[in-house]
Amino acid sequence: MESGVLKPTSEEDLHGTDFADGQAIQATVGMDGLTSDDMEELTQEAEGDERKRRRRLLALLIFLLLLLLAFSSLFCRYLQQPTPLPEIILPSTVHYPPHYLFSIYGVDKPVGVTLSPEGDRLYVAETGGERMIRIFDTEGAPIAMFAPPRTRPGERSPVYLETDKDGRIFVTDRLQHAIYIFGSDGSYLDMLISPDLSLSSYVDDRVGGLLLGSTYVYNIFQDNVYYQPFGQEETTLPAPDKMIKWAPLGLHIDEENNLFVTDVTEGKNRVLEFSLPDEPILVSWEGIQLLQSDFGKSGQSRGQFLFPNDVAADSQGRIYISDGNNGRISVWDKDKNFLFNFSGGTAEGALSLPRGIFIDHLDRLFVVDAVGQDVKVYDVSGQEPAFLYAFGDWGIDDGLFNYPNDIVVAKDGLLYIVDRENNRIQVWSY
Amino acid sequence: MKKFLLLLVLAFALALGTASLVSANGGPHGGYTATTDACAGCHRAHTAPGPRLLLADSTYDLCVTCHGSAGAGANTNVDDGFYLSSRDDAPGGADGNVGAANTPDNAPLLGGGFQNYQGAPVTSVHDANGTTAAAWGNGVDRGVTADLTEGNLSCASCHDPHGSPNYRILKETINGNAVNVAQVDEGAAKDYDTEQWGAGMSSVCAACHDAYHVTTSGSGSDSTYLATGGYAHAVDMNYSYGGTNTNPELGWTDEFGNGPNYLPLAESGVNDRVVCSTCHMSHGTAAAATGFADGAYDPPFGTVGPIPSGDSALLRLDNRGVCEVCHQK
Repeated sequence: MESGVLKPTSEEDLHGTDFADGQAIQATVGMDGLTSDDMEELTQEAEGDERKRRRRLLALLIFLLLLLLAFSSLFCRYLQQPTPLPEIILPSTVHYPPHYLFSIYGVDKPVGVTLSPEGDRLYVAETGGERMIRIFDTEGAPIAMFAPPRTRPGERSPVYLETDKDGRIFVTDRLQHAIYIFGSDGSYLDMLISPDLSLSSYVDDRVGGLLLGSTYVYNIFQDNVYYQPFGQEETTLPAPDKMIKWAPLGLHIDEENNLFVTDVTEGKNRVLEFSLPDEPILVSWEGIQLLQSDFGKSGQSRGQFLFPNDVAADSQGRIYISDGNNGRISVWDKDKNFLFNFSGGTAEGALSLPRGIFIDHLDRLFVVDAVGQDVKVYDVSGQEPAFLYAFGDWGIDDGLFNYPNDIVVAKDGLLYIVDRENNRIQVWSY
Repeated sequence: MKKFLLLLVLAFALALGTASLVSANGGPHGGYTATTDACAGCHRAHTAPGPRLLLADSTYDLCVTCHGSAGAGANTNVDDGFYLSSRDDAPGGADGNVGAANTPDNAPLLGGGFQNYQGAPVTSVHDANGTTAAAWGNGVDRGVTADLTEGNLSCASCHDPHGSPNYRILKETINGNAVNVAQVDEGAAKDYDTEQWGAGMSSVCAACHDAYHVTTSGSGSDSTYLATGGYAHAVDMNYSYGGTNTNPELGWTDEFGNGPNYLPLAESGVNDRVVCSTCHMSHGTAAAATGFADGAYDPPFGTVGPIPSGDSALLRLDNRGVCEVCHQK
């Protein structure tokens, strides 16, 4: 073995059953002495082996055929009676950032976004170009667009939007100092022109009762209210005066149909709360009530705001306000008592310029940081908010932001984020 | 005792001066402390996408995040040329922080707007979004690009976001030239639709358009033929229509019925000095410019670059209304 040459050392080695070369040698030697009987026996053995092989092949084919039949049967059954995939419920303790899917274009300097109650329509407010409110489906196909009536682009500035449970769209307008109310298709319904006055209420008082189907429009830059009773000529009414000053910016409608509005009147920053009428009243909005005069003040101390932008509420009823120029989130209890601020300063999860916010069904708070160029996410299910992660960065490529301003999260987990200077809505997914 | 009183008075004056400076440079634009967090609002130390460590590649985009038409962070909306919301002057406010409003809601800014002015699209504008447009009257030629220290024209070409002793945080040096614009006292609340600038207001414009900054009386008629090749209307002179300095200008009523309006003169309280901003708006204007007044009309010196039809040369009033206010021909 030391020489490296393999040699047989015994008869067993030469004819061993596990020595293949040995077997071949033995068979060759045997072939020279075979009789015809031997040959016939060998032939019969070979035929027997062939039959066995064919039977096995046949059994395999039958098995595959049965399998195919079974799958076909299941497929036909699914086609006749499709069953949705079981809902995968992720444990709330598992947190991971979403990923970018695609972008919706066809908007000019968008700043606000919201969804219809069914989640099938996206409403976007833009501050560039014609300054329209545009409707898209959730895949980004444009459906329609509309704007505050009787205004030029330079006389309107729609910013934040929200839909109520009936699908009506509430839009704040910074130049008009008003909240417009539209139907789900964009048809104009009414305006809140002051914390204690809707346009329909004003007209109703002036004309002694509104007729169904009447139209009424007000433009703050003009001196008249335009009123057209149904089927009659348009007339003008004097503009309302002695209204309570306000500057509505952000809004939120909670599950109980209460409307929260941030007011950025100089020196008087605050949040107003209204109760909306339960019925989709089209003619008169007298049911709108100011529940509590306001909460919060202007300033940098606890319970004070500098340009409060947006409002959201968690499952405990706590109210969150993005305190824009103070760079933090202000938290209040359901009775409007100030609780605490968080995410100021420079630690992980600190905010630079928080704008639009949203809380989803898992009590995740999404905060759009306009100059941080990202979205920061916090778990607010416990007593104290916990920073989870941030996603996004500055840029113009897919998945990068150039001054994001608002966010809405759909029930299916898709996130729609306004990307202002990139003129698009980014869609992300978990 | 006298020395003590003198020191007390000086200390009080210093305190007042400091408070005034903070007030004029509020928000993120000054009044910084040693532990300020304001820097992080606009800058990143190691991962800034824009020059000067800015969180932006465009200064304009950064500024309009607060000062744009959404008004999400400021009431001075430079896109539309409006001051959006003034103080609530009703008594009994929730926080007691009320008082007479110096500027009403939606008052037009004296500087105009970059997109719209008084609701209409601008017809001429200082394009502050990083353009390299030539500055008319720069140097001795009629159209030379200004040598702005930060490159192309932007908001930061004229304003110092970190605060300045000048009116409306105007920079102390623009295009290498000193700028000195005293801010006239405007009270506790700012006043955005009334001129509160000192006589040095023309030095802002002259920093780039220096050949047009002619202060010699009579330079428009026969005394001086300028090196730029022509005569020029004098500025920085006392207003003297009718031989008086009592501001007898012709007031006009705007399209919304507001008036009488007057062209803004320097040194509010005296109201007697014509400056560049008396006739021109620094941001943009929606004035109509037709016929001979159309900026595209070929002037005798030719044009530098394409001038769009209807260009209104940043004038405050339609066509040459600014001439008629004073000269009333």
